[in-house]
Amino acid sequence: MSAAEAAAAPARRALPGAPLAGVAGLLVVWEALARLPGAEVLLAGPMAVALWLGENGALMARALAVTGAEAAAGFALGNLAAVALALCAVAWPRAERLIAALALLVFCLPLVATGPILRVLYGPGPGPQVTLAALAVYYTTFVPLLVGLRAAPAAWFDVVASYGRGRWAEILHVRLFAAAPYLVAGLQIAAPAAFLGAMVGEFTGAERGMGVLTIRALRALDVEATWALATVAALVSIAVYAAIGAAGRRLLREPPPVLLAPPGAGGGARPGAALGQAALAGGVALALWWGAMEAFGLNAFFAKRPGDVWAFLVTDPGAAAHRAELFGALADTLALAVPGYLAGLAAGAALAVALTLAPGAAAVAMPVAVALRAVPIVTTAPLVVLLMGRGAAGTIALVAVMIFFPVFVAALHGLARAPGQVLDVFESYAAGPLRRLVHAQLPAMLPAFFAAARMSLPAAILAVTVVEWLATGRGVGALMAISASLSDYAMLWSAVVVVALATVAGHALVAAAEARVLARYAGEQRR
Amino acid sequence: MPAEPGPPGISCAGLAKRFPAAGGGLEVVAPFTREFAAGATTALVGPSGCGKSTLLRMIAGLETPSAGSVAIGDETPAEVRARAGLAVSFQDPSLLPWRTVRGNVALALTLARRRAAAGTIDRLLALVGLEGFAGTRPGALSGGMRQRAAIARCLVTEPELLLLDEPFGAVDELTRRQLAHDLPRLWEARGTTTLFVTHSVTEAVLIADRVLVLSPRPARVVADIPVTLDRPRPEGVELTVAFAELAERVSAALARGAAEGGQTGLAAQ
Amino acid sequence: MRNGRTHLTRRGALALTGGAAAAGMLGAGARAATPATLQLSWLHSVQFAGSYIAQARGYWAEDGLDVTLAPGGPNAPVEPPVVSGRALVGVSAADYTAAAVAQGAPFRIIGVAMQKNPFAVASLPENPVERPQDLPGKRIGMALANMPVLEALCTLNGVDIDRIEIVPTQYSAAPLLAGEVDCLLCWATDLPVAMAVQGVESVTMLMADHGYALQSQTYIATDESLRTRRAELVGLMRGETRGWAAYRADLDAAVATTLEMHPDANLDPRAQRMQAERQVPLMFSELTEARGFGWFSAATVEETIETLAVLGHDVSPDLWDRSILEEVHAG
Repeated sequence: MSAAEAAAAPARRALPGAPLAGVAGLLVVWEALARLPGAEVLLAGPMAVALWLGENGALMARALAVTGAEAAAGFALGNLAAVALALCAVAWPRAERLIAALALLVFCLPLVATGPILRVLYGPGPGPQVTLAALAVYYTTFVPLLVGLRAAPAAWFDVVASYGRGRWAEILHVRLFAAAPYLVAGLQIAAPAAFLGAMVGEFTGAERGMGVLTIRALRALDVEATWALATVAALVSIAVYAAIGAAGRRLLREPPPVLLAPPGAGGGARPGAALGQAALAGGVALALWWGAMEAFGLNAFFAKRPGDVWAFLVTDPGAAAHRAELFGALADTLALAVPGYLAGLAAGAALAVALTLAPGAAAVAMPVAVALRAVPIVTTAPLVVLLMGRGAAGTIALVAVMIFFPVFVAALHGLARAPGQVLDVFESYAAGPLRRLVHAQLPAMLPAFFAAARMSLPAAILAVTVVEWLATGRGVGALMAISASLSDYAMLWSAVVVVALATVAGHALVAAAEARVLARYAGEQRR
Repeated sequence: MPAEPGPPGISCAGLAKRFPAAGGGLEVVAPFTREFAAGATTALVGPSGCGKSTLLRMIAGLETPSAGSVAIGDETPAEVRARAGLAVSFQDPSLLPWRTVRGNVALALTLARRRAAAGTIDRLLALVGLEGFAGTRPGALSGGMRQRAAIARCLVTEPELLLLDEPFGAVDELTRRQLAHDLPRLWEARGTTTLFVTHSVTEAVLIADRVLVLSPRPARVVADIPVTLDRPRPEGVELTVAFAELAERVSAALARGAAEGGQTGLAAQ
Repeated sequence: MRNGRTHLTRRGALALTGGAAAAGMLGAGARAATPATLQLSWLHSVQFAGSYIAQARGYWAEDGLDVTLAPGGPNAPVEPPVVSGRALVGVSAADYTAAAVAQGAPFRIIGVAMQKNPFAVASLPENPVERPQDLPGKRIGMALANMPVLEALCTLNGVDIDRIEIVPTQYSAAPLLAGEVDCLLCWATDLPVAMAVQGVESVTMLMADHGYALQSQTYIATDESLRTRRAELVGLMRGETRGWAAYRADLDAAVATTLEMHPDANLDPRAQRMQAERQVPLMFSELTEARGFGWFSAATVEETIETLAVLGHDVSPDLWDRSILEEVHAG
């Protein structure tokens, strides 16, 4: 949302040409990279891209219309779903943990597994693309929205209560408005994700669109087309990001104070109760899994039920071998996902801190940051892997790129949240920016940072499995792709379950760390 | 207290609040038993942090008492709230930043599911000295102006019971006098039962029919002083001997409460 | 169940009034044609030109069929739509079909489009791989999914696979051109063509010429369809046969039809023409000359079974069902 711009705003006043200079610098670096010897099979520079777009403008416009419409529909549906889920969670607090757990589980489902099933469900047409775009965005809107729906001073709810009105009046008159800035932040993060979701959705057998053109261009060694597609996808994402930000600033003239509180904060619940809730969520998930497959009459050849997975991993004669293969692949994957995730968290927070210390750099850094996130991973994955080698570095870098952006945006929000009066106190003692940062701004950033850390954990898993699938051919991402091609759907669904459980476990770890840190630094955030 | 037609009186029986904490908990309000007559205006005076706000919130039903009960007429606070029969002005004005002043006042009507005659909001805003600010958002107002907007919000639903928590805390001295003069006329005319929390002795004597002086935490009644001045208060009443005597009695009770209650407060910690 | 499915489909179509639903709508306009879907194994290209010709020239319409050609993609396995009945026929390959059958899918191979397997090892002329014996000491770039293919090639030719350095890569010629690998495991009809179009000459060693006898682009259908939808299967395969005959007769027209039907696919006419030419020797053999398009004999089935055995798939000749082709070519 506008915190990023807020950081950029003073700089803009100071250096009117800075954003332009930033974009120009980016273009020059890009062109120079493309002209390096040997780069011609990997990277097309801005000139070549512009030339290609000039020649194939009509084709690109038609593809953009298709993919853009899919992404827009997915964006709308996914965000509506997020709003509905968040409202349900606030309206029925007892159901909140269950809703949050199921929302996380569904978000963890690898698209290698869901794509073909969606295609069978929908048949030809844009159904899978729209659904995958919606699935790619709903969670990153749901999490901040849930925070936002709570981010109102208790006194506002007293006003509602003093007129004898209940939860729905609170939601209608207070929470929805209090959540608006968080919704804007969520929508901004969702824009590139929806586009990527639609493009990957086209991998499930679409007639046309930018995803289809990307596969074709990658295979045909058409470097200009590949980068032209990536550029258009990035430009659209950046434009939507900026438009939502601008609309947010127009509509939210008097935004409520931003209090980034972790939903539920994971605190308070005794371990026994938490286990019970986890068991309930697991039971509901299993029932939904089985029930949905039965309801849609999905053939058990490719739509494996919970019992099939149990047999495959536990009771089959070959179960031990299956487990060894699956957990071996999972270990390979986690060995890359964890460092990538941590690097992304560190990079996001570090950039936000750097911009807070040197706001003048924001105008240059912001476009680069948005662009990095907006370039679809399906294009960058093969490139980064080629550049950085098929070892760990390339994959780790890609995972980091995928998650650093939401962390960066959230951290900027958090840093800006340090109350003005507190900063004035530091000012009155002539404390330098570094001390201000350490003692006031970093603690203020922690709640937002952890919310982003939890939210981007599934994104890290998604990124690493996509890279493994499309580029490196290792780990659980590749295992899932191979299993699908060899019709080994029991392995595929077992992988889905294990990946989802690993993500949920990681989420619980981050939440536990969050609870410990916030108990010390931001006690008021916990209820 | 028998239920009468018209605005209800308030009856508190053994009302107490203890917050759970290590070492037996923190007692905020000692058992409190009092009646408040229908249509009367009562001031609750006490030092900061003595628990008077908690007492007010329990009477409004926004805080669950640890012991005792509140009856408003023959209803519970929740029942009165459910028909929007009361209004609370909180220490923090609690205006929604995205609504204009008029929008914030109108919010009370929406929440109370009521309509007001045309011009009501403008009249109230004029009464609290906010004419010309109806379209302004709270962010652009001073603290005192926000508090006055919150008072206007309280009055717009014409409640039977008005609970005001330091309603003039941030209001400047001149405006405060004006309000202390004008507002009681309004609620007296309507026969509203009013409780207000303040730590200004002058304000208490000027506005109230009765002053309850509370000790430091846990709040306990040190003195219950009827104010025997004419209603409505004549111009310049603050300069009369009768007023000075009353104010002196209240101040003395406050000092007495502080001397006694200091130990209780320590003991509670 | 069926209701739920139609409902979902309709909602998908409503969510976006994209052109993809157009196929169904056109069908509704035609007179009482029976709808049938042919699930292709990859994105639209001249690889399926025979089908486009059948569609464009109305061969299927003459048989009372309204055929939808569903494209594939990197995340679009052929087997699920066929198993679920969403597609009547799928374009698979003998090894994928064997794997699916081993997992319980009730498939039969009812026709073989590619008599010779298109898998090849592509290399650059300065460091060529011309025979399997050239492979040891080389770095080969390939998708790990294709390991069984390389293993089979090595087994069939007595090459020590441990002496080949395997580099997992995405399916692209870029790693070869970037010097990351010495050769690529790919189809003879795509990456070498992509390189040729970019002006890079390459050496292609077709694995089928070195004992890798595995039918590809096989048409699969379920047992149930073979029992209950025979007329449609015959009609669909007859259209295919006529389409591919027309393809062979005039490659230029086939490429033109492909390009016309897929204006949004960014197909390069030169690459499509080159690919069309390269797949001719894979699809048409003495056997098909004698018996007709798609044919398989006991001998070619036996060869494929032997290669499948090397790949670790144990199948019986029952996997093949020639009754549909016999009906097509009898009439």
